[in-house]
Amino acid sequence: MKKSHLYLVGLAASLAMAGTATQALADDEITRGQLMAASCKACHNAAAADSGVPDLNRIPADVIVSQMKAFRDGDRDATIMDRHAKGYTDEEMEAMAGYFSRF
Amino acid sequence: MQDFTRRNFLKVAGISSAAAFTGIGCAANGMRGADKAHVVVVGGGSGGATAAKYIKQFSPNMRVTLIEPNATYYTCYGSNWVIGGFAGMDDIAHGYDTLRDDYGIEIIEDRVTAVDADARSVRLSGGDRVSYDKLVMSPGIDFRYDDMPGISESDADRIPHAWKAGSQTELLRSQLRDMPNGGVFVMVAPPNPFRCPPGPYERVSLVANYFKQEKPRSKIIILDPKDGFSKQGLFEEGWAEHYGDMIEWRAGSDGGRAEEIDVSNMTVLADSGFERVRADVLNFIPAQRAGQIAHDVGLTNDEGWVPVDQLTFKSEMDDNIYVLGDASVAGAMPKSGHSANNQGKIVAAAIVREVSGQEPINPSSANTCYSLVTPDYAISVAAVYQYQDGAMAGVSGAGGVSPSGASSSFRRREAEYTRAWYAGITNDIWG
Repeated sequence: MKKSHLYLVGLAASLAMAGTATQALADDEITRGQLMAASCKACHNAAAADSGVPDLNRIPADVIVSQMKAFRDGDRDATIMDRHAKGYTDEEMEAMAGYFSRF
Repeated sequence: MQDFTRRNFLKVAGISSAAAFTGIGCAANGMRGADKAHVVVVGGGSGGATAAKYIKQFSPNMRVTLIEPNATYYTCYGSNWVIGGFAGMDDIAHGYDTLRDDYGIEIIEDRVTAVDADARSVRLSGGDRVSYDKLVMSPGIDFRYDDMPGISESDADRIPHAWKAGSQTELLRSQLRDMPNGGVFVMVAPPNPFRCPPGPYERVSLVANYFKQEKPRSKIIILDPKDGFSKQGLFEEGWAEHYGDMIEWRAGSDGGRAEEIDVSNMTVLADSGFERVRADVLNFIPAQRAGQIAHDVGLTNDEGWVPVDQLTFKSEMDDNIYVLGDASVAGAMPKSGHSANNQGKIVAAAIVREVSGQEPINPSSANTCYSLVTPDYAISVAAVYQYQDGAMAGVSGAGGVSPSGASSSFRRREAEYTRAWYAGITNDIWG
């Protein structure tokens, strides 16, 4: 495969991503952030929302990241989320947070 | 927000073009591969139902068939609430209508009696065969009655294990209800590894809660082959606070190891025969192994569990079979419904990526496990896991148990979150 073709495929992929995030993700492969976000959905979905466990589909990504950091750093009171948040890097929190609206 | 979104977008775009560079034309072929592949899932519990649902979420056009003998699945988690008398069987019952109607999963209500791995097909009890490209098995546990002299599986209608939820749960509940005040409830706890490590100790807690209200002169004895158990300090703190000396736990090295069960006399022999413990209600939870079908297919190791590649949960014995949940050997991940749920997602992603010609990804995964000590007092253990050096290992610095000496409002909040967790995870699996 010629280099120019490789470039075009890469460009096409990037342009596809520029459509809408949902469209691009639906056509693309599963990513690490998406799979890690799926893990959070065990608790954080609509069924638990009445009990004070937020449905992350309804929380903006930047809020998810800031609250995860607050739990991790002890800046927000918690029963269990402090113990979870300490298991993720900043990059992982950001990668997860961007995917919730997709489910 | 704006900055974050753009940064994230660029990262995603970067991954996308990298994938395109490594496999030209692969994406299109991959999508066709995913659309053509037929995945059969055996077992509709926490692991199997999650895998089926998430394959359809990740790749909606993929064909997925879920084979499960029971129309209604009763979760083992939550069954101690029924045994404790403050929840009904309906509260822990789940069906497959949503998976069929909303997710397009084909549901076959039947039992798989054999797997022909060479022909890639499973046989149903009626003799019909269902062929697969990839097979997911979530067979749960079976019991090792042979390890305990004096008792066999046929005695379970008198001495329930209640470690698979359903009629066994109801049987133990009715025996406790019929027991006179002043009676003795004896639990023979299982050796490691077993399904739901804190489960036996939550069970005695909630039986004690029932006795305290209805039969306060009664007694509970746990005969344990082990010298310690999950969340032990927190359980013992809660027991002392709520139940005084009603619960007596005997460690394996302190005469707790049961050596024989005299079924006709409802008596457990322990401590080299020096101790005879008579029960009014006896709950024998046997030693465990992977569900029988995993043995029949030849997927198990010498210990009776299924070794897998813990990055994907693909069987070490067969390239087209994935095994997850309690039956699998999953490193540091406990045999819990939450682990099975997370493993279902890992398997779903691994299969969709494999049939699309993509490498597996290495995610972090988590476990959250709440136990009620009373209906309003709960404790928890949490962990984050990552695949490292060939096994699922806990991420250091994360996880752990609830604090000891916490306030009653902290315990009450965890009890509220226990119910929220149940509502959430069962919705994630079957809803």
